[in-house]
Amino acid sequence: MAGLLEYIQFVLAPQMITGLALGVAVVLVALGLTIIFGLLDVINMAHGEFYAVGAYVALALGASGVSFWLLLVMVPLIMVPVGYAVERGLIQRVFNAPDRHVTTLLLTFGLGLVIEEALKIVFGPNTQRPPTPISGAVEVMGVILPTYRLFLIVIGAAIVAAVAIVVNKTRLGAFVRAAAFDRNMAASLGVPVKQVFAGTFAFGVALAGLAGVLLAPIYSVFPTMGRDFIFLAFTVVIVGGMGSIAGAVVAGLLITQVQVLSSLIVSPVWSDPIVFGIMVLVLVVRPQGLFGRLGHA
Amino acid sequence: MTRTAFILTSMFAATALTVPAAAADSIKIGVVTPLSGTYTPIGQQVKWGLELATKEVNAAGGIMGRQVELTFEDEEANPSVAVQKAEKLFEVQKVDFLTGTVNSGSTLAVGQTAERAGKLVATTVSFADSITGDKCSPNVFRVNARAGQQSAALAAWVVKQKPKAKVFFLGPDYEMGRSTVATFKKTVEGLGDESVGEVFAPLDSKDYTQYFGQLRQAKPEVLCTSVAGNDTVRLLTQMEDFGLAKNLLIVGASGTVTSQNISAIGAAAEGFGTGVGYSTQIETAENKKFVEAFKAANKADPDLYGADSYGLIYFYKAAVEKAKSTETDKVREAMRGLEWMTPQGKKTMRAGDHQAIQPMYVVRVTNGQFKIVGDISGEEAIGADDCKRF
Repeated sequence: MAGLLEYIQFVLAPQMITGLALGVAVVLVALGLTIIFGLLDVINMAHGEFYAVGAYVALALGASGVSFWLLLVMVPLIMVPVGYAVERGLIQRVFNAPDRHVTTLLLTFGLGLVIEEALKIVFGPNTQRPPTPISGAVEVMGVILPTYRLFLIVIGAAIVAAVAIVVNKTRLGAFVRAAAFDRNMAASLGVPVKQVFAGTFAFGVALAGLAGVLLAPIYSVFPTMGRDFIFLAFTVVIVGGMGSIAGAVVAGLLITQVQVLSSLIVSPVWSDPIVFGIMVLVLVVRPQGLFGRLGHA
Repeated sequence: MTRTAFILTSMFAATALTVPAAAADSIKIGVVTPLSGTYTPIGQQVKWGLELATKEVNAAGGIMGRQVELTFEDEEANPSVAVQKAEKLFEVQKVDFLTGTVNSGSTLAVGQTAERAGKLVATTVSFADSITGDKCSPNVFRVNARAGQQSAALAAWVVKQKPKAKVFFLGPDYEMGRSTVATFKKTVEGLGDESVGEVFAPLDSKDYTQYFGQLRQAKPEVLCTSVAGNDTVRLLTQMEDFGLAKNLLIVGASGTVTSQNISAIGAAAEGFGTGVGYSTQIETAENKKFVEAFKAANKADPDLYGADSYGLIYFYKAAVEKAKSTETDKVREAMRGLEWMTPQGKKTMRAGDHQAIQPMYVVRVTNGQFKIVGDISGEEAIGADDCKRF
């Protein structure tokens, strides 16, 4: 009995709490992806690279003395025009092609490769790591958790809540949902669909950049970092339901818990197959995902 | 235009320098080493080390009164290019001896070329155990320490620090990661430490915290890891953040913490220990003299590769002088069991597998720099002779 309690306190509980921090990180990356996916019906393969760009911009600005707290605001603002330009300049051009899924997938995939190489040329291939903005650790029920990870859980929840409110409760969000549901109908009712699409894409890119700023101190910064979370994030988007914010949160937290708890029992190399197995199962049993699509509630 | 001019000038310069030397029937050593691509920094050290020793030997009267001449070829760290360049050096330039290959694939491939050409080659860099193990060749010698020697040195040191300790292993899930852990595990278990668990994480794992559960459960006193590059950055910084690095001796492969990632790891690298074949801090007269001369000649510190390449010229010199010939069979016979002096101290070429036996060192990160904390005699670190071809 004492052994079981000890197992829960020293193994299971810390595992679940660190899994929660990892889950929040995944949700942060998946959030922008699910919005772009759900609304524009564009599979943004460059999402991971936008995440990397956010981290590098933060690293460069941080090195020139900008404080971390200011970066949390500055980097997303810098990413907005980048995302807007990419949507209007590249995606919009192939958007009405008959095979939109394939062309946008290839386009963003190529864009991702270009960004990755550009980062390698500009910043060099070596790993860099910004200092952790909040040092120290706190004890939660006998479990040591770094303060920064705790902060990440809190701010991650706040960001998710803010995004959910913007999408579901504001006039802007109503435009977005209307355009996602039926773009012709929305356009005829006076919704500036093209601007809404570009703006939404920019918003998704800004969220990726913000995730980059927040996660860089934990996961370090290097040119190929964009590939890190992208498959997990896609899985979360598919399992949660394309475009569903609640779905991304639930699926993100669920999948990371499955990952961390399964790695206690089976070899960690199985954690990816398990996660992708869940994705395949969802695709077969409930292809619209746990929470359905944005605008199709 | 400038490029052509440069090539022409250097050709004239080269002819002007080498013709008188060649006239005195010089000994030719071919060097096939990466002078472009990812491994350029290693090739640079090889070149510097060889050039410094050659200059010293020539100034002191050469080998048996003959001057030594080096001919460089770029192998681009590509085995097929290395083979072409080696063939060219053997057949066209008629070199007496060949060295310089860096990656283990090139060394193995060039070894086969040497067997066909009836010449001898030596590597001063390649780590793969197989070169002097199951893929050994009568025509290939290795003057640097192989992976197994580094691991054996580290294991011996760990057991001295923490006898009967619980050791936990964490490696990347691919061939190198698993074999490094397996070798180290076997060695520490043989010396009385206890293995309490192992985790093989996928390469490029982003978050190691999910494996901390198993680590906590095992309550180890020593953690041995074979992760490298960015994986090390994440593993060590995340362990530090979670307070797991406290009271834990962390050791690993020689490629785990390197000059490329040490700054990104920062304070979390403190105390990390590994086994190496060379350090500039070795406190011997030979090494101090070598480091000084190397710095004066190249405006850079020597590393492991520079030191072992420097030592190679003296190895060849000793062998030729003992054989009183540059003929392959006589030199090979002389090289077997040969003892010679290097910056690391006395090395012995084991006759059975052509692997150099040398003292090994354990270094630990102290204030962001590797400092020597222990040394292990060559005999303790050498391991079994697994060569069955000769």
